[in-house]
Parts: sequence; C-alpha cells; structure tokens
Amino acid sequence: MKKLTKSEISGQVIMHIIFILATIIFLYPIILTFMSSIADETSLMRYGMRLIPAQFSLDAYRTVFSDNTILNAYLVTVLVTAIGTFLSVLICSMAGFALSIPTLKYRNKIALFFYIPMVFSAGLLPWFLASTQLYGLSNRPWALVLPMLVSPFNVFLARNYFRSIPPSLVEAAQIDGCSPMKTLISIIFPLSLPILATLGLFIGLSYWNDWSMALWFIRTPSLYPVQYMLFRIDAMMDHIRIHGAIGNMQLPTQTFRLATLFVTLGPIVLLYPFVQRYFVKGIMIGAVKG
Amino acid sequence: MPDKTAAPRPRKQGFLLEMRRNWGYYIMVLPAALVLFAFAYVPLPGLIVAFQQFNVVDAFRSPWVGLRNFEFFFLSGAAWRTTRNTMWLNFQFLIWINVISLSLAIMLNELRSNLSKKFYQNVMFLPFFFSVVIVAQLVVRVVFPDGMGIANQLVTFFGGDQVAWSREPGPWRWIIVFSGVWMAAGHQSIIYLAAISGIDNELFEASAIDGASRLKQIWHITLPMLLPTIIILTLLAIGGMLRGNFGLVWNLVYGIDRPQLGVYTDIIDTFVFRNIMTTINFSVAAAVGLYQSFVGFVLVFGSNWLVKRYEKDYALF
Repeated sequence: MKKLTKSEISGQVIMHIIFILATIIFLYPIILTFMSSIADETSLMRYGMRLIPAQFSLDAYRTVFSDNTILNAYLVTVLVTAIGTFLSVLICSMAGFALSIPTLKYRNKIALFFYIPMVFSAGLLPWFLASTQLYGLSNRPWALVLPMLVSPFNVFLARNYFRSIPPSLVEAAQIDGCSPMKTLISIIFPLSLPILATLGLFIGLSYWNDWSMALWFIRTPSLYPVQYMLFRIDAMMDHIRIHGAIGNMQLPTQTFRLATLFVTLGPIVLLYPFVQRYFVKGIMIGAVKG
Repeated sequence: MPDKTAAPRPRKQGFLLEMRRNWGYYIMVLPAALVLFAFAYVPLPGLIVAFQQFNVVDAFRSPWVGLRNFEFFFLSGAAWRTTRNTMWLNFQFLIWINVISLSLAIMLNELRSNLSKKFYQNVMFLPFFFSVVIVAQLVVRVVFPDGMGIANQLVTFFGGDQVAWSREPGPWRWIIVFSGVWMAAGHQSIIYLAAISGIDNELFEASAIDGASRLKQIWHITLPMLLPTIIILTLLAIGGMLRGNFGLVWNLVYGIDRPQLGVYTDIIDTFVFRNIMTTINFSVAAAVGLYQSFVGFVLVFGSNWLVKRYEKDYALF
C-alpha cells in the first residue's frame, strides 16, 4: 500500500467521522431501546430515556413474560415462516425449473401467465373479497401463508438460474429414466444451492417480517404473529392487564412497550452477524432487480 | 419474460402429444400456477364492484352506478390529494435513498481500512432486516415520543421547547421519508458498492498515472460508470410511483391510535385500506384500486420501455 498524502489522510478522517455519525444514527435508537427497557418506569418518566438509566428494573420484562402472549406469537411466526418458506421455495423452483426447459412447447405462454400479474393487479379490494368470500381465509392460520406463497419474480429468478445449468445434464438424466421431479431434486438442486439459499433467505425474511396478512385476515389474538402483535401492542397490554399472572398491579406502560419492542428486534440483532453475508450474496444474485 | 430462443419443434405439434411427452413438467408448474391463479386472476372479475353501489346483501348483483364511484373519488378531491401524497413520498424516497446510498457506497469504497469498511457496511445494512412495524415502533416510541425521546433531547439540547410530536401532523411526512431512507440506504448502497467493484481497475490506475486525484477519479470515472445502475434503479422506481409504502405510512401515522397525524400523508393505499376496513365502502375502494392499477400499468410499461431502449438486459420483461 502506498503512502498516503496529507490530503488523502484528511479525506480518510472526514469519511470516518461521517461513518461514525451514521453508525450512531443506525445503532443509537436500538441501544437506547434496550437501556430504557431495563429502566425503572418512574425514573424513565422523570428523566426521560437515558443511555444509563437512573434506576434499573426488570419489571417490564417480567410483565411481558407474565403470560404466554409473546411466546405464542413467536410460535405462530416460526411456524408460518418455516412452512411458508419451504413451500414457497419448493413450488417456485419447480415452476422455474419447468420454464427453463427449452423443449417445453408452452413455456412462453406459461411465462406470460406468470408475468401479467407483475404489471397489472386487480387491486386490494377484489383480492380481499376473493380471499375472504371464496377461500374463507378470514381468521384462518393459512391466511398467513397462502397469499404470499408465489411471487412471479421468484419464479423467474429461479428459471434464470436454472438456465445457466447445461441442458445436457437434464437430457442425460431423462435418458436414464429420471422423472422431471427427480431430476430437479437429485441433479438440479445440488447444483443450485446459491439460488435456493437466496430464495429461502429472502422469502423467509418476508414471512418473518410480515404483519399485513394478519392485518387483513386475523382477528383472534392467539393467531397473531410477532410483528402484528407488536403493531397491536396496546391491545396486548390490556390483555395482559386482565389475564396476566401479575394480578391487578400497576403495569409499567412505557417500559413495557420498549421491552416488547426489544423482544421482537433483539433476536434479529443477535442473528444478524451470522446471516448478513449470505443476504449480501443474495443481493448480488438478484442484482438490480431485487 | 418470454424467451426468444427457438426450441427444436417436434414433428407433430398437437397439444395432446406435447402433454404426453412433457406432462411431468406441466405438473411441476401447476402448484405455483394455481396459487397465482387464485390470488391474481380469480379476483379480476371482482372489479365490476367499481361500477356498482356495492351492498353486502346483493353482493355482485348490487345496482349498477356507472362511473359514479370514480366521479366521487375525483370530484371530492381525494384523487388529487392521495395521488399527490403518494408521488411526493415516492419522489423523496427515490431522491434521498439514491443520493445517500450512492455517497455511502463511494465513501465505503474509498476507505483504506477494510475492517472499518466491513463494520460500517454491516451497521447500515441492519435495518433491512427489521419489519416496518419494528422501525415504526423505534421511531414512534424512541425517537419521536412526546416525552424525552431522542428528538426532544436534541431539540432541548439546542435550546428549543419540547415538542408534542403526536399532535403535530406537519413533520410526519419528513419523518416517514427519514424512516424509509434509514431502512433502505444500507441495502441500496450494497447494490451500488457491487457496481463500483465491477468497474475495471485499469481505468483508475491509468488516471492515477495521469495525475488524477481521488475526487477527480470519482467524478470522471466512478460516477459515469455507475450511471447505468442509477438510471435503471430510477426508472424502476418511477414504474412503481403510484404504489405507496403502505406499511411504513400506516405504522407511523395511522396505526391504531394516531389517525390524527395522517393529514399530509394520506396515500392511495391508505385511502383504499380505510375504505375496505373502516368505512366498508367497497365500491370506492375497488374504483380507486382500479385507477391505481391502471395508471401503475402505464407507468410500469413506460418505464420498462425506457429501460429497454437504454439497456436491453435490465428490462423487467
């Protein structure tokens, strides 16, 4: 590395200052959430949010976990994410694989069928009417999975990747008597781990973070996923006030909200260092269109 | 995205023959096609509601009213208001997200220390993993609560009076913009960083020999080389101009307990949502949705046509 000139050194210093400011903007709200969630309610009310609370207290967390509302919400989210991601990756890559076969006569017509919804949709109302009146999704757990199952974009992403695999492999498998499904699973999938991982990660993240399906369809609190429960945080507080094991004592309102917030974002922050590099790779694969 | 590569045609081209030869593949398309059909095609006839005075008893046999629902939407001023708000927010997102993530990417690329480069990049990418609910809760409970949150601490630090943010609708559209940028900047800068690392290094070396400073190199090499990426991202964003960020707006200013903040930020999507879930005005919701889809369709096609003219490979279809 060549020696830096004076102006280059000052450039580096200025950039570091900007990035440190950015780091504060990105991390400070999260740290402050945590520090205030372990503050005592009255000291929080008196002194406002502080990096070092005047008085520590775990009351908020005790309240949050005083009944199993949040654990139940996590259970819903984990199940929905696992089932939804598995099914979505499977059926999107199945469709993508079939569409990547150059000898399939109707593949262009089918591709057209997949791409029309990308440019024209009926809008929310017809979608909502069909989902509730025809398919009876109101208040059903499947409402959290089904409407998000197929995104044409993912089908095309998979197709484009499978196209880069030499077609002779598929032909050879077929001559050996492999069915298309078996070809996909035992020959194509092992060669397509990057795209499968990308699809799985991004689909998984969108299921994990989704709150809107619950907003449209779910009315029973026991079916709330984590994100929607956070959205209904005040209703949840009322629920705990009535049903919680804490009894009738005064609930720590502010810290309760912050503790709930931290319980939902904490796991992501903890998991983040281990998964972020795979998402960065996925962004490269999805390139600009992601 | 139909592909144009010609396939070797079988001698007999009958539908049945094709099915007999390739039924395994068609079965594989079926699950995805069925789900898409159920959620994207079956709802289409429901659009007739836009031309009816929908009531629950008669359902799709409700009385026809022609274009009255559209008339209501346009004459009441709601169309102009929501369209303007939607486009205002999307323009702000487009400009700020791109300007900030582009600057961040260029600066990250210039950093000498690889370790701090990685660290900064990871920090800024973090919000990409948060749901809009989490981001909105951070903003509402931690940054802009009425009490001593981060915003009010800053305000009082600089000598101002504590602001009751939940009673001031004015700043919230900027808060929405800021939150959107906060969520997306890191993700977008990764895209730009990838484009920068794709630039041929010889260009930089040659210009360095000619005595170009780093700033000159950025201006005359990096930015021009990034132009295709910038233009394409911009055109794609223009295609989605009428599709608002419902999740962010709903969580920040409408939510459950703060509809009073929505005066300046009622976008098309929040308007439709309220007409479906709050006022149960299905016909208006369908009409507005149709308007949004139709104009959106024109925009997507128009922007895609431009992308295609510009660089064929990047076209969406």
